[in-house]
Amino acid sequence: MARSLADVLHYFIPEVPSAEGDAFARRAAAPAVPTLALPLGDGDVVRAALVWNLAVEVSRLGHAGSIVAPALEDSASLWPDPGAGPLGTELVLTFAEDAEELATATLDVATTRSDDGASGLIWVRVPPAWIEKGAGALPFLEHVLLLTSPDPRDVRECYAMAKRCIAAGGRTIGVIVHGARSVSEASEVFSRLARTAERHLGRTLRSYGLLVDDLHVYRSIVSRRPIGLTHPHSPAAKALRDVARWIAEDISRGELG
Amino acid sequence: MAELRLVEPPRRAELRRAIRSRLVDLGLVLRTIAEDVLGADSSIDWVGLDPQGGVVLVLVADDTEDLALVARALAQRAWVAARLRDWKQLAPGLGLGPEAPVRVALLAPRFGAAAIAAARALGDPVAAIATYRCVRNGGEVEILLEPVYTETARGEPAVPTSSFRSGLCDADLSLTDEERADLG
Repeated sequence: MARSLADVLHYFIPEVPSAEGDAFARRAAAPAVPTLALPLGDGDVVRAALVWNLAVEVSRLGHAGSIVAPALEDSASLWPDPGAGPLGTELVLTFAEDAEELATATLDVATTRSDDGASGLIWVRVPPAWIEKGAGALPFLEHVLLLTSPDPRDVRECYAMAKRCIAAGGRTIGVIVHGARSVSEASEVFSRLARTAERHLGRTLRSYGLLVDDLHVYRSIVSRRPIGLTHPHSPAAKALRDVARWIAEDISRGELG
Repeated sequence: MAELRLVEPPRRAELRRAIRSRLVDLGLVLRTIAEDVLGADSSIDWVGLDPQGGVVLVLVADDTEDLALVARALAQRAWVAARLRDWKQLAPGLGLGPEAPVRVALLAPRFGAAAIAAARALGDPVAAIATYRCVRNGGEVEILLEPVYTETARGEPAVPTSSFRSGLCDADLSLTDEERADLG
């Protein structure tokens, strides 16, 4: 059964009567576990596969993480089976039906990890429609990771998602370019996004480099086995390791919460 | 571990069987009422019913047929629409809705920009556009479906221009003309 933190908070802190106060107390008591939000659409199997593989690689670098995702209808095609996975990477499917419930579920996972003495990173899959303009700040949206291909439609979508996340309280927005044919193409895509964000949003986007969508990504989706373990010398695995290292460095520096 | 690799699609019957089991990945919950139906001069891979009693025609194309598939979908849709009244009389137990709309789901190994634009221009009648890839996993061929476009829900207003992988539509992006220009 999913645990509600509200049920056990009174063991640790005085009761706070109002709903507003309760939310405040919950946030105040939230353990400092780094969290990265991932706006991923339903059926976005390629990006979900990249994220899962990335989480495994970050785990390999000593930051074993949990992926928290709503158990929506598409979950079966997006993710491997829930529970403990490769190198300690855990997949937690929640019954959250909106952003607030997802925030609660994320907090529960953070608390459990903190109680168990685990460090690492919590990756939160957020259905993009849950990130609404003017809905108020969502705590798990403070650090956001977006993935885009060089396709102009994807680039527009990525920028729009950054804009939404910033409006909902996003502080740092990282971008990974995937599916590029060359480093220069990926670099050009990121530069274009970064320039536009600086000009119109007044924000600096953080580059997390380039992932390669080669055959091994599709193999990973089908076989549900991480690329870094099954094909460690593939271009996809090498690119994943580079991106994972940057994320791990950010975790170590405390830049992800 | 078995070596996995992208492969050419298997023969038609096997491809159909594999795709049919994955249609749910596109959010298409269909009860198949006919398979390999000879429609307007060519075959309709499946005729299915959605939970509201609407008809969905699923058409699977080969590698080079993406644009032709859109035209074929239009023709097959018109062919089926003209026969729906007869079908209702002949088989009242099918569960066809009183004003059953006929929509199409298009699948091909890849879609060019022209084919996507043409399919989207059809608006409401398009339930889904998706690519399929075939991966050999040991002795079996598995199918990966990746949506290019899926309708959010029956009965909701048609997506005016397009939807993205995020599930948002163009209007949801709320981009200014300047932002669009800067993004290229």
